[in-house]
Amino acid sequence: MFAGKGWDEHKMKNIFYNTGYFLKEVKTMIQLNLLSNIFSLFSTGLIFFILAMVISGWWVSSQVVEVIQGEAEMSVYFDESIDDTEVLQLVKKLESIEGVREARVVDEDEAYGRMVEILGKEARVLEFFDDNPFSSFIEVKIHLEKIEPILEKLEMMTGIEHVRDNGEVLERLRSIAEILRFIGYLVVAAVGISTLVITSHIIRQGIYNNRDQINTLRLLGAPESFIAFPFILEGLLLTLGGGMLASAMTAVTLKQVYTQMVGPLPFIPLPPREALISNMTLLITMMSGILGIVGSMLGLSSAKSN
Amino acid sequence: MIEAQGVSLQYTDGTMALKDVDLGVEPGEMVYITGPSGSGKTSLLKLFMGMEYPTSGKLNVLGQPIVKGQATNIRRLRMSIGPVFQEFKLIKGRTAIENVMLGMRFLGISASQLKENANNALVKVGLGHKIFSLVDNLSWGECQRVAIARAVARKPVLILADEPTGNLDLKNALNILELLTSFKDHKTAVIITTHATHLIDDKEDIKLIQVDKGNVCWERLGRA
Repeated sequence: MFAGKGWDEHKMKNIFYNTGYFLKEVKTMIQLNLLSNIFSLFSTGLIFFILAMVISGWWVSSQVVEVIQGEAEMSVYFDESIDDTEVLQLVKKLESIEGVREARVVDEDEAYGRMVEILGKEARVLEFFDDNPFSSFIEVKIHLEKIEPILEKLEMMTGIEHVRDNGEVLERLRSIAEILRFIGYLVVAAVGISTLVITSHIIRQGIYNNRDQINTLRLLGAPESFIAFPFILEGLLLTLGGGMLASAMTAVTLKQVYTQMVGPLPFIPLPPREALISNMTLLITMMSGILGIVGSMLGLSSAKSN
Repeated sequence: MIEAQGVSLQYTDGTMALKDVDLGVEPGEMVYITGPSGSGKTSLLKLFMGMEYPTSGKLNVLGQPIVKGQATNIRRLRMSIGPVFQEFKLIKGRTAIENVMLGMRFLGISASQLKENANNALVKVGLGHKIFSLVDNLSWGECQRVAIARAVARKPVLILADEPTGNLDLKNALNILELLTSFKDHKTAVIITTHATHLIDDKEDIKLIQVDKGNVCWERLGRA
């Protein structure tokens, strides 16, 4: 009697020997409900595409903010009446403040040179000045999150005329990245739930269409794992198909977006395109696989309880 | 192999299908259950298959008690049984050989062996020329023979056949009975329900059980 033999060993053998049968069953089940399955595949693909776009946006903005944050700095203009020794002492004081990464003096000539570089062809306007219009200052590189206490300490120091910082711009960028991250979480949750609902519905429908076959298999003694396997495979293949569709659409869209952005906006530090595309493909494939299996199991268990 | 003591079966609508049945079946035994329609023959087979549970009494099939809460064990028990259902329960849209193979796919048999067993069983029931025909295109009698092939191809230790000759002509009916009888050599017990007593008139080494209105009227060995 088979019941006496190792049950798990049988299950493994069954799956191994019947791979071709399971695939054929999946094909039959998909054909039985072809239109519904095609719609499910496209809707899953579109949902995953939206997810990929939001995550790409979130990832790119986080990376941009991170790079810009690394360049957070302020320009400290000192009283012109103080001599070089006092300026050097001021630099040392600034360096000792918590949150300051580096402080150095930028003299008038370097400030002029920098402006020439920034203005490019328009730099000829500077030729109208008889003397160098720029004054020397101390360039202070900081950790962005410490900007407030640093500014408070600078206010209390003597010899400083005024301070110019790009903190406000950086803060705005950071809040945009935070909003994108929040939207990302919402979309991930929405995608997860939608995919689970679609997949489990398809599986329930498949079970209903094949109820006679399932009952016969049960009467012949087929284990539940044997009966369930083609349905799980169907759910997995459908969501993986949707995931692949989404990956292809994401790759095409990201290529277009990069082409549009890299030329006109070269100063935006975008992450490498290939890395972004391959990471998105990996993420979508993994998510579609996991959601496909979980969705199929939900469909199976809800059909069973009914 | 099968041991029933005081087994009764009452359906949920109140119908009393079987009353206080006592019987035993040994390995290699050929058992015919006869009786008019609605006498309880199919209900008895349903109990042996674990499709129904006794309302009272004790029933053991191949050492497995047929009681509620044993679904997984009863499923395993069914792997050792070759059932022939009255309504066949073949899978539409599949060929004869696919149906026969489906009955063995979860028994841990390799793909080549599966095909060979199925092919041999179909040849034995006289359908060697229709193995690749869709069951949808087969006649009632041919479907019955596919169902029998599916049961015997599994090489079960217990064959439960509900009216397996019901839709066959005399020649095919006798062939099927001969095929089922041949399993006695393999120590397989065969239980057949039939109301066609003329087919078993001259059979020897059989056990006959007469059922009527849910009661086992008589049980005897030898020539019918």
